[in-house]
Order: sequence, then C-alpha cells, then structure tokens
Amino acid sequence: MAPRTRARTRSLLLVAIALLYVFSIPWYRESGASPEIWWGLPDWVTVAVLCYAAAAVCNACAWLLTDMPEEEDGEPR
Amino acid sequence: MSFDQIGVVALVIYLLILVVVAEAARRARRETSPADHFLAGRELGVFVIFLTLYATAYSGNSLLGYPGEAYRRGFSWVMATGFMMSIIVVFHALVPKLRPVAVRHGFVTPGDWVRHRFGGESGGGALAFGVAVLMTVALANFLFAQLKAMGLMAEQVTGGLVSYELGVLLLAATILVYETLGGMRAVAWTDTAQSLLMLVGLAALLAWLLGESGGLSEMTRSIALQRPEAVAVPSARESVNWMSSILLLGLASVVYPQAIQRVYAARSGVVLRRAFAIMTFMPLTTTLVVTLIGLAAIPRFAGLGEVEADRVMPLLLGAWAESGPLFTLAAVVVFMGALAAIMSTADSVLLSLGSIAAEDLARRPRSAEETTRLGKRVAAVAMVAMAVLALVAREVTLWGLIELKMELLIQCVPAFLLALHWRGMRARPALAGLLLGSVIAVSGVALGIHRVAGLHLGVIGLGANLAVVVLGSMRAGPLSRPAG
Repeated sequence: MAPRTRARTRSLLLVAIALLYVFSIPWYRESGASPEIWWGLPDWVTVAVLCYAAAAVCNACAWLLTDMPEEEDGEPR
Repeated sequence: MSFDQIGVVALVIYLLILVVVAEAARRARRETSPADHFLAGRELGVFVIFLTLYATAYSGNSLLGYPGEAYRRGFSWVMATGFMMSIIVVFHALVPKLRPVAVRHGFVTPGDWVRHRFGGESGGGALAFGVAVLMTVALANFLFAQLKAMGLMAEQVTGGLVSYELGVLLLAATILVYETLGGMRAVAWTDTAQSLLMLVGLAALLAWLLGESGGLSEMTRSIALQRPEAVAVPSARESVNWMSSILLLGLASVVYPQAIQRVYAARSGVVLRRAFAIMTFMPLTTTLVVTLIGLAAIPRFAGLGEVEADRVMPLLLGAWAESGPLFTLAAVVVFMGALAAIMSTADSVLLSLGSIAAEDLARRPRSAEETTRLGKRVAAVAMVAMAVLALVAREVTLWGLIELKMELLIQCVPAFLLALHWRGMRARPALAGLLLGSVIAVSGVALGIHRVAGLHLGVIGLGANLAVVVLGSMRAGPLSRPAG
C-alpha cells in the first residue's frame, strides 16, 4: 500500500473508532427502561460490546498501518 | 490436602520461581547503566513487550477492583471494556511521535522527554520537576493499591493461614528482591509468565460461573430479578460518567510512566506497533470477563458493602474451590494468576518510581552506576512506606484509588500529547496549567467531591489546564529558536 493511502486509511479507521465509541454509550435510550435480552445480555450492553469489538478490529488495523521508522524525526511541526 | 494447604504450597513455589527468574535476569545483564536496569537494554521483542504491557495494564485494580465495581454498579460497568481499549487508541497520538525522539536521544524516563522539549526555555526545568512529582505521587498511590490487593489475595488463597498483613510484607519483599536483582529484564520475564497464568485462569473461572448460573441469559435474568436497576438502561448522569471515564482513563493511562518506559524499551517501532495491535483485543478477553465475573456475583452474594465488594473475586474463587478436588486445583491456579497480575503491576510501578526519583527528581549529576543504585534505594524506601500504609489504611476502595491516581496523572497529558504535536506550546503556561489542573483535582479529593454532573474533577481540571496552556502559549508566541 502506498504511504499516502496507508495514512488516509489509518485516519479513516481512527474516525470509525471515535464513532463506535459514541454509539457504545446508550445516551440515545430512555433512562431506566427495561431492556430486552440479546445474546444473553441486556440489549444496550450487547450494542456496547459489539461497538468495542468492532473498535478493536479497526484499532488493530490502524496500528498495523502506523509508520514508525526509527530514524525519523518525531519532533512537533 | 485442603484448599488452604495447596494455596500455601503454590504460593511458596511461585515465589521461589520468581527469585530464580530474577537471578537469571541478573546474570543476563550486560552493564550497570540505567538503560540496562530500567529498560532491559532496549531489546524487548513483540511477545515480551505485548505480555509485559498486558500484565502491567491489568493489575489488582482490574482483577479485584473491576469485579467489585461491576457488582456495585451493574451492567453499566461494561464501560470498563471501553475505557481500557481507549488507552490503546490514544497511544496513536503518543507513540509514533515519541518513540523516534526517544531512540535518537536515549531517553530512560518520561522526564527525559519534558526536559528535551522544554529544557531550553524559562520554566522548562520546573515543568519537568512538576511532571515528575505528579507521576511519583500517582505511582505511589498505584503501588499502595497493588499492595492492598496482594494482601487480600494472599489471605484468601491460603484460607487465612497467611494473614493480610503477612501477605503484604512477604510479597512486597519478594518483589523488591527480584526487581533489585534483575531490573526491567526480570520484571518483563516474570510479567510474561504472570500474564499467561492470568489469561488461562480468568477464562476457566468465567466458564465455570456461566455453567453454574445456567448460561449468560439466566444469569442476566437472575440479576434483573434481584437488582432491576443493575440491568436497566443507565441514567443520563451515568452516561456522562461513562464518557468521562473513557476520557479520564484513556488520556491518563497513556502517560503512565511504566507504559512510556515500555515504549522506550521495545527493540524497534515494528515490535511496538505489532504489540499494540494485539493489545487492543485484551479488554475483550480480560476486562469484559472480569466485569461478567463481578456481575455473576450479584445473585450469589447479596448485600455486600462498599469496601466488601472488592472481595467479590476471592469469594467466588472460594466457592469454586469447594465444588470438587479438580476445581480446588483450578481455583488455586486462578488465585495465583490474579496474584501474579497484581505483582506484575507492582513491580513495574516500583521500577518506574525508582527511575523517576533517581533521574528526574534528584537532578545532581551522577555516574550511570550511581543513578542505578539510587533508583534501587528509592524503590526500597517507597516499597517499605507503601507496605506500612497498606497495613494501616484498609478502608479505601480500590476503584477510589484508581480514580484519584488518574485525576492527577491526566494533568501531565498536555506536556506529552500536546507538546508532541504543537511546537508553539510553551513551558510556563504548561506549568501553570499543570498546577491549576492538579489543584482542582486535589481540592475535589479534599472536599470529598469526585464528580460534577457525572464528569470527573480530573477531566474538568484537564479542561482548565488545556485552556491555560493554549491561551498562555498563544499569548507568549513561539520561541525565537527551535527547541532541542
């Protein structure tokens, strides 16, 4: 993969992770409501776990696309 | 042979193995420099870096504190899986920038970066000192929590044959011996074995608990019957707290001194990025598992108090051990795995504490050998002091200790994350922001206020801290010459 494509894909993955984090929190649900059970867990917990599982996959890919050459100057620009 | 006797034998064998590993690490050392003692000569590979990061991140807090908190708060504690993963996400902002500079300049401690970045300007030395003080306080707090957890575990695994007090003292002495002998090499090697024990043990315990509860759905229904609020959709305040915890833990954990030192200690950048790619899955195999373990305790042990809830894990293991001879042996393995996880965090914390005190707080020029020796002495003093504190201050919850540590540590974030990405950041505003954020966090502790509308005071302090840094740096303008 070309360096620019790698960097762009990595940035997209990081944005996807941020969105998954936003949807993992049940702020859009009615407080105190009794949930249904999905896959053995309250539905809002299942959604959170799925979001975190997807975030883990995106994050692993983002790390594998991270360039970290030892000789590169990492000073702020 | 009873559970208690097997526990004592397992404990003794385990401690002997640790001392043998330490001696092997001492023989493997190449020199007596701080880089060799505190960073294992910067030669750790993917497997060891991953497992040492894992063992360091998952500690007594995770194994005793998190099940306890899941028991207290119910299913909303799934947030812990999110905030533990957020640490590996936030590392994207730190590692790719910090690692190359650290390698080029031979950094050993986090303070080396702060001095490198701000050393040339007025207030730079004070900022490095302030960061070192905050890190030392946070590490001492962390060490105290680990010692407390070790005492609880030792007492439980031996059925009281080894008391809490004796457990704290015995295990603290063992850590001190192997850390002093073998430094980071011994810590990383023991972490590797400890994390494998922890992974296997937790998976086995969860499988047993689910089997006993009649499956995950049955367990959830039992919790809903006993404590409906533990299953219901969380309140708006709890959702804010969820977000605040992700920010607090995600940001504060990346400036853990022991994590930063592992970034320095890796053999190469490729090793680091592969280790982080694997690490990102560990909250699903560990934090989620301990959360479910804590939840499974709700129908089993009704009405545990605030502090008692931290004993949920040992209580479950005790119940498991009574189910049959094979389970007794399995429970001892899990106990040792949990103890191993706690000790592996304590040893990493102690090593970092010694290096920061020797390199960042005591700035008098010394030879490499003298610096290493001073680090070892400071570690010994810190261990004794925290062990004494763990014996007298038992009425503190483990989660309470984590929050306090994070609220202080998060104030160091601008000096790392912002300073790495913004050349215009200046030392004096950074120092003023650090002080303001710390005062807000400490005032909250002193007044007994931990959160405002669900937001941690440390996060509010960080907001004020960042505002001062950004506005102050813009007002001061860029340095006339490039830093470093």
